[in-house]
Amino acid sequence: MMTTILLMACITFFTRYLFLHRALPFKVGPKMQQFLSFSAPAVLTAIWVPIVFVNDEGINLDWQNPYLSAAIAAIIVAYKTHNIYYTTLVGMGLFLILN
Amino acid sequence: MLPLCLAVIPWGILCGSLAIQNGFSAFETQAMSLLVFAGSAQLVAIELMAGNTPLLTILFTTFIISSRHFLYGLAVRHKVIDQPLRWRLPVSFVLTDELFAFSHHRKAYRTKTRLIYALSAGFSFYIAWNLWTLIGIVAGSLLPDLTNLGLDFAIAATFIALVIPGIKNLATLFTVITAGVVASILKSLHFELWLVAAALTAMSVGYIVSRLQTKQEHSQ
Repeated sequence: MMTTILLMACITFFTRYLFLHRALPFKVGPKMQQFLSFSAPAVLTAIWVPIVFVNDEGINLDWQNPYLSAAIAAIIVAYKTHNIYYTTLVGMGLFLILN
Repeated sequence: MLPLCLAVIPWGILCGSLAIQNGFSAFETQAMSLLVFAGSAQLVAIELMAGNTPLLTILFTTFIISSRHFLYGLAVRHKVIDQPLRWRLPVSFVLTDELFAFSHHRKAYRTKTRLIYALSAGFSFYIAWNLWTLIGIVAGSLLPDLTNLGLDFAIAATFIALVIPGIKNLATLFTVITAGVVASILKSLHFELWLVAAALTAMSVGYIVSRLQTKQEHSQ
């Protein structure tokens, strides 16, 4: 099991380090830079939206889904306050009550 | 970064207790958080390892989940590449989703002060992650079932907090909507590359929208 963990560590580190390696002979141009500027919202959203909508049976659009109502509340709080504490507290709180 | 260190509490506890309940030793669980330091890869790998999945499948899955870091590395490359290796190595070790989302400033990583700031943020997140894993290890061995509480919703709440305030123009709005729709569809279809495919599609849409807007401004 430790071997697996060590190999996993090598893989995650490799993916994080590769493009910070100087010997890679390329420069990121302004167009590529503009494309990459969307990576944070794209990746993070691609992670959180399926947590809310996708379960073992497929896509769940039911209004009774506690993930959905808590996510909507979190989105409203995030939009109004721009505050990570309030957003996670309201989201988690409502989620735990509904669940 | 402090709010993120606290927001990741449920996730760290989930990771620690899930591993214990799947038969990992406390040492292995902690070692995973200390060495791998990647929440989503850890959660998936724990389930796979508990199910006696072949090593290659586990490593391939880890690679697929981690491949989003290639995008982060590319995005910060021009800011960090002139720094010596002794700075670039620790920066890449702590280049998590959270740190990347947090260090979008134009000048981030570029001066010594900003590098030290980014590294302190990154390593405080590392310490927090390991502390919450430890609490998860203790909680997981004392309490019977923490894994059905829906602690995974905390990930969604944290990422909502990171993404929503950043939607300041049409291009980002399109990026976010595309990412959510494409990721949900591909994941529900059990497409293995759902995360990277959805991210790349969404980034392309965002890029195209921003180019169209620039063109329109020029022609007016």
